[in-house]
This record gives sequence, C-alpha cells and structure tokens, in this order.
Amino acid sequence: MRPIIKPMATSLLAALALGGFTSAQAQEDKLFIFNWSQYMDPEIIEAFEEKHDVEVVENYYNSLPEMFSKLRAGGKSQYDIIVPSNYFVPRLIETGLVQELDHSKLPNLDNLYPRFLDPSFDPGNKYTAAYQWGTTGLIYNKEELGEVDSWDVMFDEERNPENPFSLISDGQVSMGIACAYLGHGYRCQDTEQWKEAAKLIINTKGRNNFNGFADGTPQLQQIAQGNIDAGMSYNGDYLFYADEDPEAYENVEFTIPKEGAEMWVDSMMITSEAPNPDLAHKFINFILDAEVGAQLSNWTWYSSPNEAAKPMLDEILLEAPATPTDEQMERVHFTPSLKGQQLQTFQQLWTDVQSR
Amino acid sequence: MSSLLAKRKSASGPGHWGQTTHLLGTIAPGILWIVFFLVLPSFYLMSIAFMSNGPYGLPELPLTLQSFRELAGFGFLGWSPGNLYTLARSVWQTLIATVLVILIAYPLAYYISTQPASRRPLMLLIVVVPSWTNQVIRAFGWMNIMSPDAPLSDLAASAGLISSEMGLFPSNFAVVLGLVYNFLPFMVLPLYASFERLDGEIVQAAHDLYARPINVFRHSILPQTLPGLMAGTVLVSIPAFGMYVIPELLGGGKSMMVGNLVASQFAEASNWPLGAAAALIMILATLGGLMVLRRLGQRLGGGKEVVL
Amino acid sequence: MKRANFRRGLRAWWYIVLFFLYAPLAIVVLFSFNSTRTYSTFQGFSLEWYFKLFANETIVSAIYNSLTLAIVSSILATVLGAVLGYGMFRYRHLKLGWLIWFIYLPLVMPDIVYGISQMTFFVQIHEATGLLKPGLLTMIIAHISFQIPFVALLVYSRLLQLDPLLFEATQDLYATPWQRAWYFIIPTLQAALISAFFLSFTLSIDDFVISFFTAGPESTTLPIFIWSAIKKGITPEINAISTLMIGAVFTAAAISYAIQRARLASNPSRK
Repeated sequence: MRPIIKPMATSLLAALALGGFTSAQAQEDKLFIFNWSQYMDPEIIEAFEEKHDVEVVENYYNSLPEMFSKLRAGGKSQYDIIVPSNYFVPRLIETGLVQELDHSKLPNLDNLYPRFLDPSFDPGNKYTAAYQWGTTGLIYNKEELGEVDSWDVMFDEERNPENPFSLISDGQVSMGIACAYLGHGYRCQDTEQWKEAAKLIINTKGRNNFNGFADGTPQLQQIAQGNIDAGMSYNGDYLFYADEDPEAYENVEFTIPKEGAEMWVDSMMITSEAPNPDLAHKFINFILDAEVGAQLSNWTWYSSPNEAAKPMLDEILLEAPATPTDEQMERVHFTPSLKGQQLQTFQQLWTDVQSR
Repeated sequence: MSSLLAKRKSASGPGHWGQTTHLLGTIAPGILWIVFFLVLPSFYLMSIAFMSNGPYGLPELPLTLQSFRELAGFGFLGWSPGNLYTLARSVWQTLIATVLVILIAYPLAYYISTQPASRRPLMLLIVVVPSWTNQVIRAFGWMNIMSPDAPLSDLAASAGLISSEMGLFPSNFAVVLGLVYNFLPFMVLPLYASFERLDGEIVQAAHDLYARPINVFRHSILPQTLPGLMAGTVLVSIPAFGMYVIPELLGGGKSMMVGNLVASQFAEASNWPLGAAAALIMILATLGGLMVLRRLGQRLGGGKEVVL
Repeated sequence: MKRANFRRGLRAWWYIVLFFLYAPLAIVVLFSFNSTRTYSTFQGFSLEWYFKLFANETIVSAIYNSLTLAIVSSILATVLGAVLGYGMFRYRHLKLGWLIWFIYLPLVMPDIVYGISQMTFFVQIHEATGLLKPGLLTMIIAHISFQIPFVALLVYSRLLQLDPLLFEATQDLYATPWQRAWYFIIPTLQAALISAFFLSFTLSIDDFVISFFTAGPESTTLPIFIWSAIKKGITPEINAISTLMIGAVFTAAAISYAIQRARLASNPSRK
C-alpha cells in the first residue's frame, strides 16, 4: 500500500471508532419523547425518571408536518412517544406510523373527561390518549384597534386599513378562518369554497399592512413589540406571556371571533416500532394521573382533558380563555383531517397562496 | 500548453503503475465518499420524482410524469403561475445578493491582504466569527433591527420607502439582506486567498503600462483574483439559490424561494414526488448556472484555466 | 494623495462592514442580559438566563454535540478534500472533467433533498445491517460529504495559482510523494488548508436542515434545538448561548493572535 492511501485508512478508522463510541451507549431503560417544545414540565420528567429509574430523552419539533416526515423517514423506530394534534392522528394511523394502545396498561385513562374518551378522530381511543387541549384565537391590541369580535380586522381592508397583522403559518388553520369569515364555516372542505378562501388570502397578502405568516407563539412576541396589532395565537401561550410580562400585554386581548375558530387536542401516541413500548405505556399512564395532569396544565397554562385533575388546577385555567365559555364552545371546531385527493387539492391551493 | 506539460510529466514522473496508484490514492477516497454517501442516496430520491403520489404523499407506483406537469402549474384546478413566480423570485434574489456580496467583499478582501501579515488572520477571523453563531439567531437579530420604530425602519419610513406602521421585515428586502449577511464570509475567504497570492510585480508593471487604474484592475488584478472570485461566486450563489431558513424567517411567507417550495412538498404539503421533481429541476437550473459561470470565467480569464 | 484617499476609503469600508456584521450580534448579546422574556424593550440587566442555561441539560448536551460534530467532520473533510483537490490538480490533464460533476453535486443539491435522501439511505442500511443508526456518526458522515467539495475546490484553486514549473522542480527534489507532500505541498497550501478548515467548521456549525434529518434522538445540536424552540419564540436563554459562543470564539481568536505575535517576535526572520 502506498503511503498516500494512509489518510483514507486513518479517517475511516477514526469514523469507525467514533461510531463505536456513540452506539456503545445503552438503549434499555431509556424513553424517547418527541414533543412540541416547552410543553412539558421538567419536574414531571424528573419524577418519572426517579419513579422508574430510567432516563427520559426529549426531542422537539416545530410543526406537525416536520414531525410526520421525520417519523416517515425512520423515526418510527427511534421515538417512543409523540404528541400530535387531532387532525394529524388519522394520517399517522393510516400510514402505519403508530401502534394501538394497550388499555390494560392504562388504568388512568378513565380520568379523562368523557368527551375526550371517544374522539371523532380516534373512535374508542384505540391509538390516542389526550394530553392537553386549547384554542387558536385572535389576539389584538385593543388600544390600536378597539374592541374586536370578528376576523374582519384581517380580511376587511376598510375595517383595518393600516394596522399591521399576521396570519398563522399552519395552512389549514388560516384557510379555515378565511372560510369562516366568508360564511362557509371553519370546517369547510368544498373545493369552490377553498378557492374563494385562497383568493381572499392572496388579496390579503397583497395589502401593505400584512406582516406575513408566522407561528402562534412568535406572534405573541411580535404583538408585544408592536410589530403587529392583530394576529393568531394559542390561548395557553397567551396566558403564559401575559402573566410573565403584564405590562407589555396590558392592551393585548385574546378572543374567539364570532365567525368561529379552531379548537385542538394534542394526544399522546406510541410509534409503531417504538424501542420501549412498555415504558411508553407507563409514561402515558403517569401523565394521565390526576395530580400529574394538574401539575402539567398548571405549568403549560393549557386546559387539561383530565377530569380528575380539575380540583387541583389553578383558578385561571377554569375560566375563559383557558376554558372557553359554553357559548364560545359552540364556535370552536376541530380542523378537518384531510386525505387523498382532497389533501392534494388543498396542498396545491396552499402552495399557490404561498408562492404569490 | 497543458498537453505539453502532461507529456513531460509522464516522462519524468514515477512509473505508470505507481502513477495509477497515486491517482487512485488521491482521487478515490473523496470521490468514493461522495458517491457512496451522496450520489447513491440521491439517485434513490430522484427516482421518486417519477412516481405517483399516494394518499398521504408517499411515493407509489406506477411511474408517471404527473409531478413535472404539476410543477409547471397544471394542477387539478387549472393552470397557475405560482411555481414560476417562485422560481423567478429565487433567481432574481440570488442574483442581487451575489452581486452585492461581490461588491462588498472585493474591497474588503483587498484591504485585508494589504495589512501586515501578522494582523491578517485576526481580521479574517473577525469576518468569519459572526457566521459561527447560528443563522436563526442572526436572522432574529435582524428582525429586531428591522422591526417598526427601530432606527433602520424609521430611516426607511422617513425616506418614504415604507409606511411608518410597518417594519422592514418581513419582505423581499429583508431576505436579500439576510442572504448578503449570511454569505459574505464565503466570498471574502477565497477572494482573500487570491489577493494574498497577487503578484505585486505584475500589478506594478500594469501600473507602468496603463495610466488608468480601471485598466490596471482589468488587465492585472482581475485576472489574478479570478479563481478566488469564481470560487466565491459558486460558494455564495449556489447555497443562496437553495436557501430555506432565511426566506422562512425573514420573508414571513411573502418571499418563498425554490428551497422553501421543495421543503414544503416534503413536509407540509406531503407530496414527495412533487418535491423530488422540484428538487431535480432545481439541481438542473443550478448546473445550468454553473455552466454559465464557467464560460464567463474562461472568457474573463482569457482562456486561462479557472476553478470552474 | 489619491492613493491616501483610496486607503482611507478602504479602511472606512472595513469599519462599515464590521458594523454590518456585528450589529445583529450586538442585539443578541444585549438581549441575553435582559431581565424579561419579551423583546419589546430592554428592561434591566440580569444574569438570570445564564443560570437557566446551565441548568438546562438539553442545551448543554446540544452544545457538546454541535462542537463534536463540527470539529470531527471538519478535520476529516479537510484531509479528504485536500487530497482530492490535489489529485484533481495533479491529474487534470487526464480528462477527468466528468469527475468534477461529482464534486458539484453536493454543492447544487438543496439541503432539504440532501437531508431527506441521506436519512432514508441511512435508515435502510441500518434496517438491513444494524450499522449506521441515525445519530452523531450519521451526522458526521453527512457533514463530511458536503464539506469535501468546498475543501477540494479551495485547494484546487490555490494549486492552480502556483507556477507549474515549481511542481516539476519538487518532483526532482523529493523522491516519494509522501516527502513531497510533507516538505512542499502542505507548507504551500497552509493558508488554503486553514481557510478550508474554517469554512468546513462554519458550514457544519451553522447547518440545520441536513443535521435535522440525519440526527437521532440523542444527537440534537444547537441549531436543531433552536429551530424547534422558535415555535415557542426564542427565549433569552438562546441569546445567552450565542453570547457565550461569540465570547468563546473571540477568546480563541485572541489566544491564537497572541501566540502568533509571540512567535513572530521570537523569530523575526520568518516573514
């Protein structure tokens, strides 16, 4: 062998040595959770680790599609637990990325409110156990815009000619509220109605005071900074930020507009080839415990689906906006779960909206 | 010239067998690495472009050209120019950003090369250090600088460029600025490497020969720094064309580029075949751009071989 | 007179560009000391976020992963890429033009395609053989394959600028290629190799998309962590990390500068 080949040999050896180093770490007694960020009280993780003498590794995703593509590209054998929102549940089930729950290992499942026990997206809770739920509403600066009870601050140029505003980057939610504003309801799924909504959003994008699409939480920061005067965000995060910095959020309100808005449930699921399904069941059962459930909601500021946890929840979580009033509940809807041709049609429309 | 050199080399170099081993020893490791870890996986992915789209965006048989039709705008809803807008926007923004980066980097690299040798590494480091921080963070810094009521936005508003309520971001402007900021070091480094090798005597001779500095530049400095300039242009324009993070953060959905189109087909839109088709077109467009650059380099370099 | 103006102009340009490069970082640093979470205003000096940062295991291990990935991949890529660049140069008369397209491929590949194709590939290998489980190793492999072309191109472009006759002279002077490499090529290429390493390091530490798709559950890097955190808004903790990174890099720069000065002072004959 000529000496010049040496670099190749050495580098390969180095790479192999590294490989040995990383894969030598033990895999048993580890639980891998793939979740939204800042959605889990670290103390709950510590308590679980102590109770079962295991290590919990948390990973975070930024959007549901991101999580979905990561699972599809092999993540289904790397993570144990994922926490998707309702409208991604059927997609995960039908593509075989998740496994059925063993109810005999989840005695605490009965702690949930009855309406979370047989949800439309997963009849009989075969695959899911509710984690947290909430709404995606309208946030606005009341000093700048006055009282607001309609999406017209976004879509009506006369109502809001110059105050900057943002829409949410989740296409189905933004299209949903556009549909709702047009009178077709948040859950519209008709191609013609979608086209109308897409046209409305494209026109809106062309307006000077449109400040782009952003995720719910960054919009909360932008509204405090004065970058925007109206936007879309989540009730729990709104409460959390308002509590953190009351002065900056003095004039910021959260509302469910009269045309309707989104309600969502994030659920725990176990991936189809989870490395440690047994421990995953133990974890889900742990979260469903009344006390832990209350601790979780008190930490995240979102409403708990756990009925048994109710007595231990902070006062603020039991009233609007954390828990919508009965009258508001009639106006909030699940985002429809699309598939096949319908999903493709929607995606084409949304890609078109984004490219303009 | 080069064939003459080749003949002489093979005559005076090691034996034929030794040369082959040497050739393989130098070229093979890198090429094999790239072939095995990059070319093979990407061929697999490219084959997806010719498959049909399943109910949840997973590729399925039979083979079809449907994705390319869709890419050209022929969806189920009739023709739409959306994707063409995206492509044109990407080309335009890359072009502007690259030109700006060259204009900024050229004097800078020259300035650094004129400094005492002991100071140059530090100066290079100072230029590179910002890119060691995460690009998401840097974009975030820019968001703050360009938000309403920040000095930069006030300046733009008082010049009548934007309304006083709005910030400078999100906008196409913010994206171009982000691209320039992000890729500046990638132009400064190779340009500096060229300037460092600049033969002062040739420049001096050119000074004696031509009266006007512009001619000195054209006939002496530019040809000598061309390899660096071309390398820099490749390093800047190609990643800029495929940029994903910056349009996403600073464009706020108003400034979609091809990279975002591809990404969204693999993630949000869940249409892998369409994403793969878009990626294929994108690669072809980039290769086309490279060829143009190569030609340009050869012409400007007067037939001299440059890096491309 | 004209020349002096030109020099002054260049120097002014240097400071303007420095301002441009560092303004966003200054903002990041400033807000890492902010006493509240929001970015609306600076509400008072506080070290709160630094304490939180070191209490956060995820962030600490992300820093560790990022550095390991960047250093290991850059070293390996500099070696592989430099050898390749040299080979391309030495044998450029052999009609190897088609080879260059292999080098351009990683350059023209959109990050997202690159990341997804590598991940599907690694997963398939892992399922078939048990090797290459997604994690730090797969990330290092992926990073090396996008760093090699950059290194090779830099080295190649530097070699092209050398006088070809110089090469022949060394061929007569040194018997083995190994000696030639050690006594002639490496010293000549020193500057190019250093900038190639720096470039690789920069590319690696800044990469998000490719890392994201090739990472395993235990190899989260800072960019991956930050990206997932912006869903909930960037906290000043992230500014605190960046501030520390900027500080660390500047410290390293100051040390290397000091060493270099010391060397120059003790050995004035070199340059």
